[in-house]
Amino acid sequence: MGGDCSERAMTGPAPELLRRLATTMRERIAPAVDEPFARTQAFMAAVVLAKLAGQLAAAEPDARAADREREALVTELATRLPSPPSELDAALRDLRDDGSDPAWNRVVLAIYAGRDALGDRFDEVLATVRLALRARLDRALAYAS
Amino acid sequence: MTAGASTEELIRGYLAERFGAADLELRDVQRIAVGWSHETWLFDASWTAGEGRAAQGFCLRRDPGNALLREMSDLGTQFAVLQALEDTAVPTPRPFFYEPTPNALGAPFLVMEKVTGTCPSPWGREGRAFYQAAAERGVLPTSFTDALVAIHTVDWRAAGLDLLGVPEPGTGFARREIAKWRALIERTGVEPDPVLIDLICWLEANVPATDQLVLVHGAYRTGNLLIDDDQVSAVLDWETEVIGDPMYDVAYVLSELNREGTDLLSNIVERNDFRRRYEAGTGIEIDDARCDYYQLLYAMRSAAFWMSASGLYASGANDDLRLARTAWSIPVVLDNAARLLGY
Repeated sequence: MGGDCSERAMTGPAPELLRRLATTMRERIAPAVDEPFARTQAFMAAVVLAKLAGQLAAAEPDARAADREREALVTELATRLPSPPSELDAALRDLRDDGSDPAWNRVVLAIYAGRDALGDRFDEVLATVRLALRARLDRALAYAS
Repeated sequence: MTAGASTEELIRGYLAERFGAADLELRDVQRIAVGWSHETWLFDASWTAGEGRAAQGFCLRRDPGNALLREMSDLGTQFAVLQALEDTAVPTPRPFFYEPTPNALGAPFLVMEKVTGTCPSPWGREGRAFYQAAAERGVLPTSFTDALVAIHTVDWRAAGLDLLGVPEPGTGFARREIAKWRALIERTGVEPDPVLIDLICWLEANVPATDQLVLVHGAYRTGNLLIDDDQVSAVLDWETEVIGDPMYDVAYVLSELNREGTDLLSNIVERNDFRRRYEAGTGIEIDDARCDYYQLLYAMRSAAFWMSASGLYASGANDDLRLARTAWSIPVVLDNAARLLGY
């Protein structure tokens, strides 16, 4: 006994099972449905299952990469911007411990809100954050597109 | 409404009463999988009229109460817009009836003419082949452009389309659109991706001004047009129309998102041909800078659409799997936005 319950109940790792379900839905079930609306739904079910499989398979390595990049960003900005505007300073301190979307959003909002205070550094700071956002986006695109 | 009656029986009963024809018959009733915000039913009806038999094809759109853009695209407004456009050069279905109550079919609905034509999807193999062949024949590209010219040259005040709301001159239109889509995002209750927050901040910081106000369709592309004999027989999907900057529609036509593996705008028309014919037909010069801005506004709008759509499925409010699938469209839209913003 023991092990992950989702693997016990199924015939293998969950992402692989979802992929197989998607294939069955796409190749065997959907083509056999005559009614147009239901047929579209069956093909959509196949798409959703395949996306879920990709997202589930990537979840752990993506989370580790996100943590590494977030720490690197906070360190880099601390070096480049020793005295950030107070709102940005607070947002970056939060981001150090919290990689959630709200924490990221506070950083982005603080950069725009601090545009005047940042002056010439605005573009540079925004570009640095955007590099990190790009990496996050690329990971999502790997299973979304 | 008769308890236990099928939708088809309810539709038949409603039309029989409206036309005063107890013998009204329906044929070829089908619910089609198009559109996101309302159920769409197509059917043909015939009934005794005088000494003969009358016949009419109908399209019925019913508000299920739980669909995309529920709060922003009400059938009453759509019906009013179709009525306003009935005597204009814009090809639209003739509107027949609008029922704002659930009494007849369990939900509000409108009934309009079933216009002759097909609506090939530009996203599928068959549709792409259709548009490629039509582009080579050369008639549809002209008709595509002319229908947009017709929309942008409608005397919208005379037609009563100020019912849609008229933005303030200058930056009023863009600011209204940003506010509208921000409200939709907020209604989802889901935290936006930080790329979307970046996009919204950028849009607010770079709002363009315009004093040109026209009727804007808001989603003008192949796939939202009925085609008959290589002519646009009807412009469909009057769900995002506004009074606003004509470049909003032009940007949509120019968008890379609306062409699948082809250089042709909206899969149908050469860029230079479109520009020449549009500018000649409307007298409006295409402003590329404003179009570039609106490409980004469309990215925000698309993200809002997909957040709303996938949220409807996730919350259990709607079981249409097309909505569920859109959760994975959000990163794709944001990727486009990030590239346009330079990252």
